[in-house]
Amino acid sequence: MECRVLSIQSHVVRGYVGNKSATFPLQVLGFEVDSINSVQFSNHTGYAHWKGQVLTAEELNVLYEGIKLNKVTQYDYILTGYSRDTSFLEVVVDIIQELKKANPSLVYVCDPVMGDQGAMYVPENLLPVYKKKVVPLSDILTPNQFEAELLTGRKINTEDDAVKVMDLLHEMGPDTVVLTSTDLPSKQGDQFLVALGSQKIRKPDGTSTNQRICLDIPKVDAVFVGTGDLFAAMLLAWTHHHPNDLKTACEKTVSVMHHVIKRTITYAVETAGPGIKPSPAQLELRMVQSKADIENPSIVVKANVLDKSLDQKQ
Amino acid sequence: MECRVLSIQSHVVRGYVGNKSASFPLQREGEDDDDDVLKRAGHPSLRAVITETEAPHMFVESYTLVVPIQQVTLQKTRAALSGAYRRPSKVLGFEVDSINSVQFSNHTGYSHWKGQVLTADELHVLYEGIKLNNVHQYDYVLTGYTRDTSFLEMVVDIVQELKRANPNLVYVCDPVLGDHGSMYVPQNLYPVYKNKVVPVADIITPNQFEAELLTGKNITSQKDAVEVMDLLHAMGPDTVVITSSDLPPRLGDRFLVSLGSQRHVRPDGSRTTQRVRIEVPKVDAVFVGTGDLFAAMLLAWTHHHPNDLKTACEKTFSVMHHVIKRTISYAHELAGPGRRPSPPQLELRMVQSKADIEDPAI
Repeated sequence: MECRVLSIQSHVVRGYVGNKSATFPLQVLGFEVDSINSVQFSNHTGYAHWKGQVLTAEELNVLYEGIKLNKVTQYDYILTGYSRDTSFLEVVVDIIQELKKANPSLVYVCDPVMGDQGAMYVPENLLPVYKKKVVPLSDILTPNQFEAELLTGRKINTEDDAVKVMDLLHEMGPDTVVLTSTDLPSKQGDQFLVALGSQKIRKPDGTSTNQRICLDIPKVDAVFVGTGDLFAAMLLAWTHHHPNDLKTACEKTVSVMHHVIKRTITYAVETAGPGIKPSPAQLELRMVQSKADIENPSIVVKANVLDKSLDQKQ
Repeated sequence: MECRVLSIQSHVVRGYVGNKSASFPLQREGEDDDDDVLKRAGHPSLRAVITETEAPHMFVESYTLVVPIQQVTLQKTRAALSGAYRRPSKVLGFEVDSINSVQFSNHTGYSHWKGQVLTADELHVLYEGIKLNNVHQYDYVLTGYTRDTSFLEMVVDIVQELKRANPNLVYVCDPVLGDHGSMYVPQNLYPVYKNKVVPVADIITPNQFEAELLTGKNITSQKDAVEVMDLLHAMGPDTVVITSSDLPPRLGDRFLVSLGSQRHVRPDGSRTTQRVRIEVPKVDAVFVGTGDLFAAMLLAWTHHHPNDLKTACEKTFSVMHHVIKRTISYAHELAGPGRRPSPPQLELRMVQSKADIEDPAI
């Protein structure tokens, strides 16, 4: 399988966020990963201290120039995540547009990182860039509830709302949308959180059908960093293997997440000792130790297909 | 058992050199213990997966030089510690922390390359971040190609501090200076390597030119090579592998000769030195990143076989051979008959060779 991904994300010396979180699992699954590091930090910003350097929009352009001059701009996928800088994000958009011209089948997987639990944790001026430029280019989008609401200007209080928001997002660009987490009540109880997905499958005759799914995911009592980056990377991989079957792609993606998180929390609690809250360093994802689960995830979360009575004409 | 490596090398967006060449194989590297590997190797269904190509025709001989107690002077405490026998350990993949010394679009063998370099100050800032969080306990440090003396000197300072934090730390150093009689880094790096870097190294992987440069002695025979390796031991590292030489191979001119030497101090104080000679098939192409992969794999396999350089080298050279063979086949396929493959086509097939990296069929 020769499949080349361009991933533009953070690099941390220690730990697993951004490119560190995405690259190893994708390589394990046989993807060629070209990675542009948007920053180099000692570690993620959840630690007591962090230090490092950021890549400017100009420097990003220079790196891309190098790739272009060597005529090695054929990518099957692009993957982006956390960004703090509008000019950087705008160069990313330009690059993606050019790469899509070089390969019209290119799939852009975008995690529109803006915030969570009702608050933005990036500069506010990124929202219009995401809304007007980034999301329209994306093919697969992985917002959380807050980001989905921000992008569409519509609140999610019920499953119906979630479906409507995902449809609005489809209209903005991506044919595949996964709401990675929501506050919707789970039928399995409060130890679970609800995620939803929607995939527009275009038929040759011009009509399209939507496969909509919902998953109940066991909650874990800890704060992890880098899980969103791992999620987007694994969704890339599993939608690649199951391009018209969002249900299976999500089951595998969510299952991998679950295995990695379980292994991580077990190790963290063990290392911290009884009654002591694990530190950010101890909570780093147990990525290399999860190699077997990444390669061949046993399915531990099933997705439910939602009401399919909404076939739409183009 | 948790094993953490700090690797300070280049990053390229596309391709496999420096950290790109070292990280994935080390992270991927995992075996429970020697028994498990042997069991897996004997498993009928696995045999078919591991070997698609014939095993390299390798000629490995080793001999152990034993020096009686009376003739030994234990030079420094560090030598005693690092030379002492270590029990082979269980490892489930190395944790690799990586500091990218540069970020380039691709390696410099392509027609074009563009990017940015990390200054010595910026390196220091990153290290400060690690220190402030108190997470500077490393089992290994790995370094390779550097072009800047102040950067290299900062690396030395960092290695020295990390060794104070963990006296058992093993520093694996590829002293990249040049090849085939000429230097391809600035000349002023040479004294830094000689006087500062090599003395803190535990494992070094020079080629013949670099070994001659560092010791001031030419190698025209195996006897010379052994003397040069002993001179390098005296400078610091207990493990030396001369990764390639111009010595005449016994297997014919389609092979090249590598040599290794590992010094141990036994519990009773006597010193032994294991010498290894390996002849590896030559491949008619220029690869970039193979030296970086070699140093990373030597780190992994000496970790699994700390007192057995012969086995560590066999496995390391086997991995190299499988990756190179897979790469050259693919490159020729892409280039087409009669055409010379280009640098992009010759990028190491790293992701595709993962089965070989994990469990090389010797």
